[in-house]
Parts: sequence; structure tokens; C-alpha cells
Amino acid sequence: MTFYEKEINRIRSIVYSNEGQVNTVIGIRNYIENNYESDLNLEALSHIRLISKYHLLRLFKKYYGLTPRQYLRDIRIEKSKEHLLHGMSVTETCFAVGFESLGSFSTLFKSKTGKSPTQFQKEQLSRSN
Amino acid sequence: MRVTIISIPVRDQEKALKFYTEKLGFIKKLDMPLEGGNRWLTLVSKEAQEGPEILLEPAPNHFEPCKVFQDALMEAGIPWTGFDVDNVNAEYERLTKLGVEFSVKPTKMGTVEFAVFNDTCGNNIQIVEML
Repeated sequence: MTFYEKEINRIRSIVYSNEGQVNTVIGIRNYIENNYESDLNLEALSHIRLISKYHLLRLFKKYYGLTPRQYLRDIRIEKSKEHLLHGMSVTETCFAVGFESLGSFSTLFKSKTGKSPTQFQKEQLSRSN
Repeated sequence: MRVTIISIPVRDQEKALKFYTEKLGFIKKLDMPLEGGNRWLTLVSKEAQEGPEILLEPAPNHFEPCKVFQDALMEAGIPWTGFDVDNVNAEYERLTKLGVEFSVKPTKMGTVEFAVFNDTCGNNIQIVEML
């Protein structure tokens, strides 16, 4: 066994020893991944795994390094890029990925990508033509 | 400032180009001749062609400490870098069929599953799937 494998085993036994917690957060992440376009919040997510929302928040952040809300936002932005690349309008994209307001979608999109959804779409589509 | 380059030291740039494009599936982006037969050789991911570029850098051939460090990582089984994949097991099967040698088969570690292979150019490379 290499030094790397020994270290992996050592760290796993310390950091990931609680299988129940690991399975819980994996289940929550998969749920977010498959339902990102719906009205998700901490309350709803905590009901899925029957744990308190504060415990869920702590666990998710511990194992993924992000809060569920931050993770959901990132997925929505990534999915919105795909829709925009396929020619969907900015307004349609906004609602298709689960945002409720065009303003908050555009602001978040710009802060994450450096470009507005319209700029992003124009640049990408002109590159592919 | 932007992150655009991820440097991977290789012993043979042409061999590395073949491995990273033909086996791993990256696409050549820049290929500029430098002095002494060296090249500025970069690759991008098929799915993110405007994303960060991998620089296949012949540093171990020109700077002994780089070679020493690279050899030490290889010996210890430590990956030089890693790439995200959608499905580690599928990639493991695909690459194994292409003759790629793995030092770590797909292994779960908490919220990720990973595997480590030899890039035949002096490095261990890790592939990771988020669970």
C-alpha cells in the first residue's frame, strides 16, 4: 500500500467515520440535484431526511463546504448556462431553473460569471456560429 | 486575475499529448514552438473549452528539483492533480479497456468516490466523482 492510500485510510477513519451522517448529506445533495427547479428551502430539505434544519445546515456545510442554499444557487447557475447555450430566453431560463425573480437571477448570474445572462448568451452563441 | 492554467510536468510532451487527448479525451488548444524542441502545449476539457487549460510542461527535463519532486510523488502514490468526472466507475472501466493502469481502483471516501491512474508521463492523476 502506498503512502497516499495509507493517508486516505487514516483520514477517512477520522473524518468520515459517521456513515449515517454521510448518507444523510449525500441523500440531500442528490435531492437538490434532482429538484433544483422546485421551491426548495431548508425546511423542506430537513423534512426529507427527518432531521432538524439547523443540524442539516451544519452537516451539509461540514461535508460539502457549502450551505445547501449556496449549493442550490450554484447548480441553478450551471443549469441556466446550459439553457442559455441552447437558445432559451433569459426570462424562460430564469423560471426554468427555479428563480422567482428576473432581477435576482440576473444579479446572481453576473456575480457568479462576471457577465449578465444576455451578454453570456450573445458571446457564447456568436462563438459557436 | 483569472485562473487559466493548470501545469502538469511531463517527461515527453508528444507522448503526453497523445495520452491526454487519445485516452483521457482532452482537446489540444495551443501548440507553440519554444526553443530546444520544447512547446507551449495546452489542452482543454471537451465540456469546458473556454475553461482552464492544462499546460503539459517539460519542466522535469530542465530543472532537476522538479524531477525529484515528481518522482517522490509518484513513489508515494500521491496524485499531481485531479479531474472531476460524472461517474468514476464508468471512467475506470473505459480507461482500463484503453490500457490505463490504476494504482487506486474506485474507492469511496465520504461524499466522494475517486480513483488514481498513471499518466505514463511521470504522474499519478486522480479522478473524482462527488456523491
